[in-house]
Amino acid sequence: MVDWGIPIGAGIAFGMGAIGTGMAQMKIGSAGAGTVAERPETFGLMVVLVAIPETLVILGFVVSAMIMIMLE
Amino acid sequence: MLQRMNKIQVIGPKTDLSSVVDVLYHTGTLHLEDVSKSIAPGDTILKKIDVSKASEISGLLVRMGGLLLSLPKVPDEPEKQKRFFDEVRKATPDELTTLSTATLGGLEETVKDLSGRKADLVFTLSTLAKYEDIIGKIQPLENQLPVLEGFEVTVILIQREFREVVDVIRNIFVDITHNQFELISADVDQATIAVVAVFNKKYSEQVHSFLFSQNVNEIRLPPEYMGKPFREILTSIAERRKKALDEMKGIDEKLGQLSAEWYQQLTVLRRILEDRNEEIRVFSKFGQTDYTFVIIGWIPRKFLNRTKEALEKTFGKRVLVHELEVAQDKMNEAPTFYDNPWFVKPFEFLMGLIGTSSYKEIDPSPIMFIFFPIFFGLMVGDIAYGIIILAIALFIKRRYQKELWLQHLMNILVMCSIPTIIFGYLYGEFFGNFGEMMGWIEPVEFLGITWNRIDAMIPFLILAISIGVFHVFLGLSLGIINAITERSKKHVCEKCGMILAITGLIVVLVSVAGMISEVFTSIGVVMLLIAFPLIIYGGGFFGAFEVMSTVGNILSYARIMAIGMASVVLALVANELGGSMDVLLVGILIAAMLHILNIALAMFSPFLHSLRLHLVEFDSKFYKGGGRIYTPFKKEGEG
Repeated sequence: MVDWGIPIGAGIAFGMGAIGTGMAQMKIGSAGAGTVAERPETFGLMVVLVAIPETLVILGFVVSAMIMIMLE
Repeated sequence: MLQRMNKIQVIGPKTDLSSVVDVLYHTGTLHLEDVSKSIAPGDTILKKIDVSKASEISGLLVRMGGLLLSLPKVPDEPEKQKRFFDEVRKATPDELTTLSTATLGGLEETVKDLSGRKADLVFTLSTLAKYEDIIGKIQPLENQLPVLEGFEVTVILIQREFREVVDVIRNIFVDITHNQFELISADVDQATIAVVAVFNKKYSEQVHSFLFSQNVNEIRLPPEYMGKPFREILTSIAERRKKALDEMKGIDEKLGQLSAEWYQQLTVLRRILEDRNEEIRVFSKFGQTDYTFVIIGWIPRKFLNRTKEALEKTFGKRVLVHELEVAQDKMNEAPTFYDNPWFVKPFEFLMGLIGTSSYKEIDPSPIMFIFFPIFFGLMVGDIAYGIIILAIALFIKRRYQKELWLQHLMNILVMCSIPTIIFGYLYGEFFGNFGEMMGWIEPVEFLGITWNRIDAMIPFLILAISIGVFHVFLGLSLGIINAITERSKKHVCEKCGMILAITGLIVVLVSVAGMISEVFTSIGVVMLLIAFPLIIYGGGFFGAFEVMSTVGNILSYARIMAIGMASVVLALVANELGGSMDVLLVGILIAAMLHILNIALAMFSPFLHSLRLHLVEFDSKFYKGGGRIYTPFKKEGEG
């Protein structure tokens, strides 16, 4: 019998992180695009700001990798 | 490394003002301040300097530029130019404008006339070439044309795909000329046919107005060619061309002579006018009394003597340089002068994304120079990828030498490619596991761990977090130094408390996990108990929440491992997918495409995340920014 709990748990950990990042980047990205249109010199800063919420998906990935490795 | 700055005041007689400004401009070390802003209540109010010559000089500059464009370029003669430069550079604005106006006077008129005539001749030549071309093409039709008195000949060019238009024209001509015409058509080239129409002169007006109204490409020969045989016209065109060319040669010779005589002088005058134009723009920042002027500005300490010497050499004791004493709290107004070696400059550019360091802060760029490439290398870690990134960066650097921002980015990629190759050797990766599969390379065993990234996931995660702890602690330590410089006791306490709290947390976690003796649990708790009052004293009650934010910052370094994993897994997929193909060529193609995608991602994603780790996680521990960059008053592009 395959134990589906571990991969599903790992998937949730990663997937929710990705959704969270996506939602945050959606808002930052659209605001950032507006800012860059008005002030092109802020492009560099906006790229960094858009990258900030990626922490969520990265931590999600780490947790899911740990679930897969440590619980198997 | 940020340079120490001094605030100076330059005072001298008003008669020397423009010469002093010129010396300062060429020394290129002084960051000018607006004098009117430095006057405290009760001080003598200095009048602003009036800039009356500005528009005259900029007008002369435009005329000079136009004249130099019209004259044929001759090689620069540095000797001659320097001699003239030395003669003129000390001229007052009045003398300079008088000299420039006198030089331009007659010369400008002559050159304008010659250039105008030359332009006319160029136009004539191009028209003659057009006639010659067309007549050459329709010449074979000449034999078919009837020779009739009182008849006119006109030529129409029609694109081959619209050849049916000829019939339409023929029908209309029947109506207009009451059948007194002849139409002969012949192919001129693959795309065009020429139609020669001969008709009675009395219908000339109606014929031409019809052709004009239909937007037909009618070639109207000049009147002097009308009614002449084509051969004669061609001879006449050749004669006119020769005349025009001879005249042009004469004009070129005259312009060449003028250029030889004046070019060096005009170049020097333009350079001096450009300098004066720049200098005048800052005159409004200076103050004056009835007989003296005052200039105030910031200067890097290491340039102070050089500037003093330059002024003393020219003006002796007439012009004084006075070092102003600035209170510690006012020193934050000093401009920031990054004086880093060339290899740190690209990281200054990255730091520029979030503003300029304030004068008293530690410049994060040199630290970025050390850690940025290491983080990038840890994430990408592949010998082949490193070599390819190096090659791409060098190629782009060579190809786009004028794009400064691209040069900075590519310099960073060149620096990053070296740790990428080194870590690639440590991980045993050459196009992912391709090198290992071929038996070329193997992961190195170091500190008892074989650094194969797929197998050593947990050690790699611990390594990433450890780097995070070190990097964040380094940031906090720099924060303590900044706080000491600013004499901010509270900030010192907050940063010390933070270091203590994080250390305590780590000690508690490690001892609870059983990696060290349980005694350390109590030590860790004591550390936390000492840390919190310090943090609350330094940063208030909400400062305590900063501990969680700092823990989050440290965990964020897990991205070093996570992005590295993503890169290595994509490389593995490329190799597996490529290897599973039955046809070797298809396999190689698929693997190559995936590796190219991975390299493109590797150049972008790890770069961005390295940057983010510095700007968000590291810099937030000590960096405030809000400074203004040191912009010395000097010629653009000069040292």
